[in-house]
Amino acid sequence: MTALADRLRPLVAVVFLLALWQAASLLLQEDYLPPATAVLADAGQLLASGALIPDILSSLGRLAWGFAFGIVLGIPLGLVSGRSERINDFVAPLLALFYPVPKAALMPIFLLWFGAGDISKIVIIIMSVSLPLVYHSYQGAKSVDAKLLWSAAAMGTGRLRQFWKIILPASLPEVLLGTRVAIVIGVIAMVSSEMIVRQNGVGYYIFNTLDMAEYQTTYAVIVVVAAMGYALDWLFERVRLRLTFWAPERRAPLVEPA
Amino acid sequence: MIVFDDVTKRFVTAGRAQTIIALQGISTSVAEGEFVSIVGPSGCGKSTLLYIVGGFVQSSSGRVLVDGRPVTGPGTDRGPVFQEFALFPWKTVRGNILYSLVEQKMPRAEAEERVAYLVDLVHLRGYEELYPKELSGGMKQRVAIARTLAYNPAILLMDEPFGAIDAHTRTRLQDELLSIWETERKTVLFVTHAVDEAIYLSDRVLVMTQSPGRIKADIRLDLPRPRRREELLLDRRYQQYMIDIGRLIENGPEAPPP
Repeated sequence: MTALADRLRPLVAVVFLLALWQAASLLLQEDYLPPATAVLADAGQLLASGALIPDILSSLGRLAWGFAFGIVLGIPLGLVSGRSERINDFVAPLLALFYPVPKAALMPIFLLWFGAGDISKIVIIIMSVSLPLVYHSYQGAKSVDAKLLWSAAAMGTGRLRQFWKIILPASLPEVLLGTRVAIVIGVIAMVSSEMIVRQNGVGYYIFNTLDMAEYQTTYAVIVVVAAMGYALDWLFERVRLRLTFWAPERRAPLVEPA
Repeated sequence: MIVFDDVTKRFVTAGRAQTIIALQGISTSVAEGEFVSIVGPSGCGKSTLLYIVGGFVQSSSGRVLVDGRPVTGPGTDRGPVFQEFALFPWKTVRGNILYSLVEQKMPRAEAEERVAYLVDLVHLRGYEELYPKELSGGMKQRVAIARTLAYNPAILLMDEPFGAIDAHTRTRLQDELLSIWETERKTVLFVTHAVDEAIYLSDRVLVMTQSPGRIKADIRLDLPRPRRREELLLDRRYQQYMIDIGRLIENGPEAPPP
């Protein structure tokens, strides 16, 4: 009984939010704030009928591409910067300049370069997810205990091979924390790029229903996007804990996996 | 045979405000199979001296010769054991001990056999599949010693290996180290701040002074081997060494020789 109560406790906040929403909606009786129950039913309907599925798939497809490129580019760049001051002196100022720029603001330029297709949206996702990946990989590689590298060197592991044998696994807990942040930022970039270039995807769907004054559906799609983000984060947490179960405990994540 | 030829190490403090002479004019030698301890107050550069032999840190001037060849970097002829253990946290006990054998491409069956021998040598049978975070400090240091013995270095470089271990376990590990040393007959350079430990284990004790770090006394211990802790404690020579070396450390630096 207590175990069940413990497991249900995180749901209290969610139920509280929904109740507040429901009450406000019933009180206001306005189109722009449909009741939570209706929105949830609508969200279920969108998924069950398959109406939203093609857009979800095209969104997730671009996210996957952007993420894959971001990982291939960002993690090695961060790890190398963390181990070489010379490379970091080159990379760090570029990142510092690039960091505060809202990536969506670059969309017009990418439209000029790559047209209005998938590529410009994927590029926005790559740029967005790269920053946390580079930063956490850098931190991870920089804080590798020198004595691990000395031990490996004494055991015959050469400088280049140490990257693969020591620096990558030793940095992995930090790299995967960065990856978790990148997933959430990737979802944000995915939706905002689809809102700017409206062709398909969940971001497109949100604005399209807004234009057609189908407010209840707008809310429903937002709920679906939130659920997608939560599901991706939850899945990744499983992967992360599997890959780094050996790591000594560090600070607890802000959002506990359910 | 290790020869120290006028080894000096200078550090520049943060902000380049000050140059600290960590080691000055260290000249001595350690014979093959000899067990030599280096004692001195903290900050006297005794660990730095060990790192220079390991090839992990470069001397500012002078050189270290191992079997006639100057040290230019780490090598499998010199095996470090650190106070902080420096185990690979992502590898099991077995994986840590196996690491150097895999690096040196030892045939699998032979490597497994060697791991089994070492696991028995350091009394870790039954713990092979545990990860470092699941081990106590004493067990971690046993793994670290086995990992270093695995590749059979001629010289062991031990940097306060029992400094972070509780007193009871420390005496056991000292006894185990002596019995390993008596079977494997390695040259051991052993850094410690514990005078009793240095006397119990060593053939010779080098006493160092602080800033600049110099060798203040080189004491060859006239004590029987194999060592028996109870007999040693009652031995007048042991008691006199305790007093003499304790005084040498307390009295601070002597005037530098002209």
